[in-house]
Amino acid sequence: MPPHEQPPKQSAVEIDHVSYTYPATGFDTDSTHAIDDVNFSIEQSTKLGILGPNGGGKSTLIKLILGILQPTNGSVRVFGQTPAQARQQGLIGYLPQRIEADLDWPISVHQVVALGRACRIKPWKKLSADDNAAIDRAIQLVDLQDLAAKPIGALSGGQLQRVMIARAIAGNPKLLVLDEPTVGVDIAGQQRFGNLIDTLHKELDLTVILVSHDMRAIAATADRVACLSRSLHFHDTPDGLTPAVLAQVFAHDVAGVFGDIHIDAHLAEGCDDPDHAHQHQHDYGCTDNSGGGES
Amino acid sequence: MNDLAPAILAALVISIMGGALSVFVVLKRLAFIGQGISHAAFGGVGIALVLGVHGATTMGTIGQLSIVVAFSIAAALWIAALSRSHQGRIDTAIGVVLSASMALGFVLFTLAESKHDHDDHGHAAHGHEDQHHLIEDILFGNILATDWTKAAIASTVAAVILFVTWFNRRRFIFWAFDQPVTDAYGQSSKRTTNTFLVLLALAVVMAMQIAGVVLAAAMLVLPGAAALNLSSKLRPVFIYSILIGTTGAALGMTIGINAGYPAGPAIVLTQSIVYLITLITKTLAPKLRS
Repeated sequence: MPPHEQPPKQSAVEIDHVSYTYPATGFDTDSTHAIDDVNFSIEQSTKLGILGPNGGGKSTLIKLILGILQPTNGSVRVFGQTPAQARQQGLIGYLPQRIEADLDWPISVHQVVALGRACRIKPWKKLSADDNAAIDRAIQLVDLQDLAAKPIGALSGGQLQRVMIARAIAGNPKLLVLDEPTVGVDIAGQQRFGNLIDTLHKELDLTVILVSHDMRAIAATADRVACLSRSLHFHDTPDGLTPAVLAQVFAHDVAGVFGDIHIDAHLAEGCDDPDHAHQHQHDYGCTDNSGGGES
Repeated sequence: MNDLAPAILAALVISIMGGALSVFVVLKRLAFIGQGISHAAFGGVGIALVLGVHGATTMGTIGQLSIVVAFSIAAALWIAALSRSHQGRIDTAIGVVLSASMALGFVLFTLAESKHDHDDHGHAAHGHEDQHHLIEDILFGNILATDWTKAAIASTVAAVILFVTWFNRRRFIFWAFDQPVTDAYGQSSKRTTNTFLVLLALAVVMAMQIAGVVLAAAMLVLPGAAALNLSSKLRPVFIYSILIGTTGAALGMTIGINAGYPAGPAIVLTQSIVYLITLITKTLAPKLRS
């Protein structure tokens, strides 16, 4: 971050002129420019929604905040540290876009939630009383205490997502990162999800980053919004999202805005324009799956 | 019977180790990787043979094992790297490594054989016979020929593998259950994959002593697969798997020794039958209860 005086409240996340370019592979010569000169900071205890079309660089931004990718240019700080350091201290909780875990596993809800904390426990030690208390509290906050002993395969899709949220908060993070959490969920479901995140936000004093291409999902959960379509700027304007701004974000590579959201359903429909989203995917070739490190 | 004591000890420790690792192998769907590694080890045996390192002495045994282990670990890590660069298409990676190593192994065996022929002229026929025995032992195992040196090595390696697995149990469970998120939780999935594959390569080479190149991987799959038919709780699955592994080994050894069958295949066959029984139990149990 630029060397100016310490802000009164420490920033949760500082993204300082960050660009990321996916390297070319094999004989391909085109590298993929995923995000370009993104510059903003997130105050603690904010619930920030980042809205953008598919291929607009949302997942790349998440990977940069989590420290899975290193920026090509610029720097990312999470609570004043590198993302890797913050992650090591369990400051970041993460809810993946899709649940790719193997649901045939012989593992209980309690054991899955414990995994969110396990990486912080010394290998030769058992779970301490503190660990167990944190795990139980996480399970209680997502209202799954009755199912804690059940095998993971016995749960419904919605319950499973709550397990994964509990796993994300079991390590007492200060930042919760949610990647497209309500894809394919109806409006009532999005509202319930928003309420749950709101509860966690209050109970645990969390900073929340929610990334989505769906305006309704953002509206249900976030109290501030930024728009990302390859590049993003934070303008501290009180204006809400106007149709004109949204049209720009989803049709062009444009600066974003944030402010208090007041969106009506009509606007939300316009925001989620599949044609434009598709076009962007072509333009930048950066899908939500790119850069995965599976083997 | 005392002659068989080292063989029995080796079979026991290797099957305990196989039982523990096989749960991860099955849950992480690495059964085919085990096959890839064991066939790759064949190339390693070929290299040791051409270099003139063989198991006639203690140092020779250690030297040969070291070469085979190094080759298997390299193959395992190469499979992991290939599958990363092919976007997780691990079957392609294994297909490449498995066939290349087998081909290399056979070429080197022939090379070693022609060297052998050259060395002692009049005994060519005898050399061929040795060679055939050797290849058969490598392909299908010859546990009954285990001496105390081999048993001691197997016990040490198995103990190390079990300790490292226990030490990394949470990391391995998280990785095997939900690898795509482990990086976000501060655990490098690449590092975890490589750690596990090194253990697996070591385990496969140890299991080769019992069951040879062709059947070694089975000992790292069958107990876990059978145990997963019996329970949907993590701890019992591990316990059942180790019990099934050791019971299968003990029964297979007994049958092999008394009936004169080769012990390795007898052990694998016994574990396969146990697997079938658990599969039937799993299918029938709910019906019987209702």
